[in-house]
Amino acid sequence: MSTGIVTTDLRKTFPVRRWQGWRRRPAAAPVPAVDGLSLRIPPGQVTGLLGLNGAGKTTTIRILSTLLRPSGGTVSVDGLDVVEHAREVRRRINVISGGERMVYDRLTARENLWYFGQLYDVPRARLRVRIGELLDLVGLTEAARLPVERYSRGMRQRLVIARGLINDPAYLLLDEPTLGLDAPIAHQLRALIAQLAADGVGVLLTSHYLAEVEQLCRHVYLIARGSLVAQGSPAQLAGQTVRRHTVRLVLAEADPSVTAALRALAVRHDAELTVDVDDEGRPRFALRHPEDLVGAVVTAVVQQGGAVAGLTVTPPTLEDAILALADPAAVAR
Amino acid sequence: MSHALRVVAAEALKQHRRLFGQPLVLFSMLLWPLLTLAATYYTVLPVMESAAAPQRWPVAADPRRLLAFLAAGALAYTFFFSLVQSAWHFSFERVSGTLEALFLSPASRMALVIGNGAAALTQNAWLFGCFAVAAATAADVLDVAHPGMYVVAAVALLVPAVAWGAFLNSLLIFSRDSAFLYTLLDDPLWFVAGVRLPLFALPVWIKVVGLAFPLTSSLVVLRGALLDRADLGDLVVPLGWLALLTVGLFGGASALLRLGEARVQRTGGLQVF
Repeated sequence: MSTGIVTTDLRKTFPVRRWQGWRRRPAAAPVPAVDGLSLRIPPGQVTGLLGLNGAGKTTTIRILSTLLRPSGGTVSVDGLDVVEHAREVRRRINVISGGERMVYDRLTARENLWYFGQLYDVPRARLRVRIGELLDLVGLTEAARLPVERYSRGMRQRLVIARGLINDPAYLLLDEPTLGLDAPIAHQLRALIAQLAADGVGVLLTSHYLAEVEQLCRHVYLIARGSLVAQGSPAQLAGQTVRRHTVRLVLAEADPSVTAALRALAVRHDAELTVDVDDEGRPRFALRHPEDLVGAVVTAVVQQGGAVAGLTVTPPTLEDAILALADPAAVAR
Repeated sequence: MSHALRVVAAEALKQHRRLFGQPLVLFSMLLWPLLTLAATYYTVLPVMESAAAPQRWPVAADPRRLLAFLAAGALAYTFFFSLVQSAWHFSFERVSGTLEALFLSPASRMALVIGNGAAALTQNAWLFGCFAVAAATAADVLDVAHPGMYVVAAVALLVPAVAWGAFLNSLLIFSRDSAFLYTLLDDPLWFVAGVRLPLFALPVWIKVVGLAFPLTSSLVVLRGALLDRADLGDLVVPLGWLALLTVGLFGGASALLRLGEARVQRTGGLQVF
């Protein structure tokens, strides 16, 4: 029965040892890489796992894929514990990482896929068909008999993607899968991920390309320092932060009455206002507020007889949310 | 075909494509062992020509038998050292990032290391093995009690060699600093195993050390069965010891694979190189 990947209070601490004289001793307080993480990756859906560098995303993926053993908590894949039933879990999952490793340079694409197909015990007749399908899918059919060492970076990454799909995984863990890919291929891969999810595959996606996450993920977990800080749809996450709409206004020339009116507006709405000058020495205002205050700003300027030289409104983005939620101190700076 | 057999076959083919892609490899497979054999023969020959040598070691009196003795040593050494090389190459999978891909899969780890070792054995040693058999037959140096002893000799060489390969693979696969083992198992291996000298000529402590390596007993059986007309009864002790070592090496490999994988799962060492 497909119940998805479920982690409960997942913890991972790497043992750290330091030389003391002639002996290596455990360090006093190792820092947890994952700290009490509870996630659910259901079948038939793309779930996002976001966080800044070092947040614990890759460690989480390594635990889910059985490459690492959790220090605490549980992980199950369709009800199978990843520690007790590691071999069965490995049949159901696969991992695609960006960075074009995980394939053999001297082998051709076809040989690489055949080799991994054997490791995953794909039935012989099915494997023959599957290799053809995957080569076609990633656009390597014509280069299938060339050694991988003669491939471009993008071609190698496409082969890594095909390798990750060789066993028809029920769950696919994607760690920056479009890293280094050209835009058309990345676009093609995103379409493929969406199609896989539509076909019932449970996908976990980590990516630095937030547009990719917003486009593909129905649910996103945001982690920082190994812990969950927020979750929801990309839109819900973007709405969880205090900083929402930003109205940026440039005046044609300095006008104290307009400045005073905008300051009064900010106080009245409890909005954050910053004032400086642009490259041409014109006064520039940035007003941040949960609501879009562009109408009120323009009215205030016009009422005071000011002339608008530039006006932009930036809606809340997922990137804002990640920065605000994952590292509030940095945003405050 | 069971999954484990498929893994062994796939691993063998992969290794063949990775390491034996160039036809020039054929030269090193035959030329290198032959050069080593020639160097040994002409180094030992002047010593053996002294009057006292044949009294201690009758083989020394007959250059043809001496060459057969050394060739048997070179053949067995080629088998065993090819597995040291294969294990060393296997350890590079960590650097290339493919070791992670292997451990992501449900493939039996034991099947992987056996496949890797068996492939190395077949590919490295077949040419020199064929040459040695042909040369021994042509030179008429074989002295065999009965045809069944050919099988005994082959089994005593092949099975412990595969166990040795599996053990080394399981040892080096998790080791980041394995180069020293490669050096340790090169010259010292032929020295302590009696590859170029009869065992009785070695000090007792070296003989004791040599017993820990399956190559030593494999060579005793190989030379006894093929050159000295020994039958099964004459070789029961080295064969028994060889069987024990083989079981120990397979058991050790299995334990090392389990412990090694558990350790890298705990420390995250699989991606560190």
